[in-house]
Amino acid sequence: MTSIAATTAPPRARKVAGRRQWIGLLYVAPAVALVVVFFLIPLGMTAWMSLHNWPLMGEHFYIGLGNYVAILRDTRFWNALRFTAYYTVIVTIAIFVVAFPLALFVERPRPLTNLYRTMFFMPAVVGFASASLLWSWLLNVDSGLFSPAAYDLGLIDRKFNLLATFQPAFWSIIAMVVWKVAGFTMIILMAGLQSIPQDLQEAAVIDGAGPFARFRAITLPLMRRTLALALILSVAGSILAFDQFYIILRGGPRNQTLTAVYWIFNQSFVSFKLGYGAALSMVLLVVLVALSLVQLWLLRKPEGLD
Amino acid sequence: MRNLIAKLALAAAVLGSGLGTAAAETANIWVRADGSNFMPRIVDAYNKGHTNQVKLDIIPNAEIIPKYGAAAAGGTAPDALSLDLIYTPSFAAAGQLEDITDWAKSLPYFASLSPAHVKTGTYKDHIYGLPFSADASVLIWNKKLFKQAGLDPEKGPANWAEIAADAEKVNALGGNIKGFYFSGNCGGCNIFTFTPLIWASGGDILSEDGSKATLDSPQLRGAIDLYRSMVKKDLVPAGAQTDTGANFFAAFAAGNIGISPSGAFAIGALNTQYPDIDYGVTFLPGKDSGWSSFAGGDNFVVTKGTTKLPVVKEFLDFAYSLEGQTILAKYGSLPVRGDIAKDALKDLDPRYQIAAEAMAKGRTPYSVVFNDLINSANGPWTQMINEVFFGDDVDGAIANAQETMQSIIDQAPQK
Repeated sequence: MTSIAATTAPPRARKVAGRRQWIGLLYVAPAVALVVVFFLIPLGMTAWMSLHNWPLMGEHFYIGLGNYVAILRDTRFWNALRFTAYYTVIVTIAIFVVAFPLALFVERPRPLTNLYRTMFFMPAVVGFASASLLWSWLLNVDSGLFSPAAYDLGLIDRKFNLLATFQPAFWSIIAMVVWKVAGFTMIILMAGLQSIPQDLQEAAVIDGAGPFARFRAITLPLMRRTLALALILSVAGSILAFDQFYIILRGGPRNQTLTAVYWIFNQSFVSFKLGYGAALSMVLLVVLVALSLVQLWLLRKPEGLD
Repeated sequence: MRNLIAKLALAAAVLGSGLGTAAAETANIWVRADGSNFMPRIVDAYNKGHTNQVKLDIIPNAEIIPKYGAAAAGGTAPDALSLDLIYTPSFAAAGQLEDITDWAKSLPYFASLSPAHVKTGTYKDHIYGLPFSADASVLIWNKKLFKQAGLDPEKGPANWAEIAADAEKVNALGGNIKGFYFSGNCGGCNIFTFTPLIWASGGDILSEDGSKATLDSPQLRGAIDLYRSMVKKDLVPAGAQTDTGANFFAAFAAGNIGISPSGAFAIGALNTQYPDIDYGVTFLPGKDSGWSSFAGGDNFVVTKGTTKLPVVKEFLDFAYSLEGQTILAKYGSLPVRGDIAKDALKDLDPRYQIAAEAMAKGRTPYSVVFNDLINSANGPWTQMINEVFFGDDVDGAIANAQETMQSIIDQAPQK
């Protein structure tokens, strides 16, 4: 619409449009300034640091791609990345398995819907660090809730330390993350569900489509964009997971739950190798951008579909 | 007049104004939270009696290193800090510290300063750190529970067999009473209390200069067997397996643990916070006899290029006086001057004498990568102790830790 107006309008109008564009730029200037100061400049500095041997204390010096060569041989980083991928897949599936039924449940108005929505969404407003501290206490074997409660109820004859071995510890974290994040995903999915026109569903019912067929042929395709948003948020959040593994597990049991960000933190602030930590961050950034692009491509709008 | 100037200086320091007076200078000093009991007292005492002043900041234990590094990079580092002694070699290696060799050697009491501190404070034959506060590892036992279990409450275990036997007897009391406690997922706690068992039996985990990891020894395996057997017999609470140090002291203080390896700090903490607990203090024993201790605590180091060197020296000299050492001892640190330690401790709980004796013979591993090797929650030492105390594959865990530790040592920056 505006492009047509611009090409066919007389010179005076074009001048006005040009001025409007300048005013538009002025309006976005604060946002641009924020992005430059708090994203682009730090990003540039990180890239710059990653080319140096940069200890926390003492002199730093240029080593070219030395840090990146070292990453290739850093098996513990690749192990951490593999664990992060495993965690991301599991936790994303778990979140959707819980959030989708919840969204279907709270989508339609029915008695107490608002109460349910609020209840399910509530944990999402707790910070990850505070939620981790809370669960760290719940999971404690001597003074927590789960293990002592099961013991006192006579369900187990010896207190079981949930955090001592990999499987229970890992699934405890998954439970905690689902508890905290599913409500937020539910709200996104609910908004997507509500944007599907009711008459489409009714037409399908008249045509004799069962509930499963309607879900597969109408709900899912029309929620493509909503699903893409929820998926990218969940995957990006999981790849950057750190707080819960740091606070509840300290990367244990036996360093089996070290995530990529945890490893970056360790290299930077335990071993004091800031330059190496910066290089690891750049690698993780590339991985994250690549994954997001793949997801956008997979969930792109098929040609010919409105 | 002198008093007036002191007051003026104090006022200037309190107001934080940049004006000050020409006569008095103020030095900034940091300490980690472990020193939050004694450090403010000793700074107050110094400030009252001197024209020059010291301004103290207390920093959380886990943050003091990154915070100091960031401050040093930004040119706002404190003039000096009281630093966990094991970090002194790596700070000195980074070129961050002022060489104080000449001044240190000119002190008349230099020879009687804690030898373990001076050793870690020395890098390539130059002295960069001097002892400030001290903590030795000891074994503590609950006399009330010993009595209930039919043991002699005045006699602590003197070898490994006695530790295991006494713990088992106390554990037999049942209920929520357990025989033994240690923090099974805390590298720092176990280098402090577990390695002395190895040292006392003649083994070691690092070579003298820190260039070789020497984990695989019969002494280490023996000490592991001691802990494993107690875990297997259920003498240790289940929470020990995942305790990253939060319960290192608290478990014993709750009063239902028979024996626990701990530190001299526990004497002050138990006396003031848990006066009802009746406990004894003894040395961490060797397999059959003998004893050893980890010499922990802080070294006092000076930031390279500070202009407040005279104030810092005056303050440290004050801390080494009998008055300073007595304040330290009274508020939770052992004295660091051997020649006046007895005087500084004479009015205090006699159990401190044991800890002071342990300190005098205490040892500290020397390494520029101590944090990576030992203290890091994800380092090879922490991983190994958890695996060997609770896991199934002791041989694999030791071999893995030996290899990882050696590769960390070999990759450390050589200067």
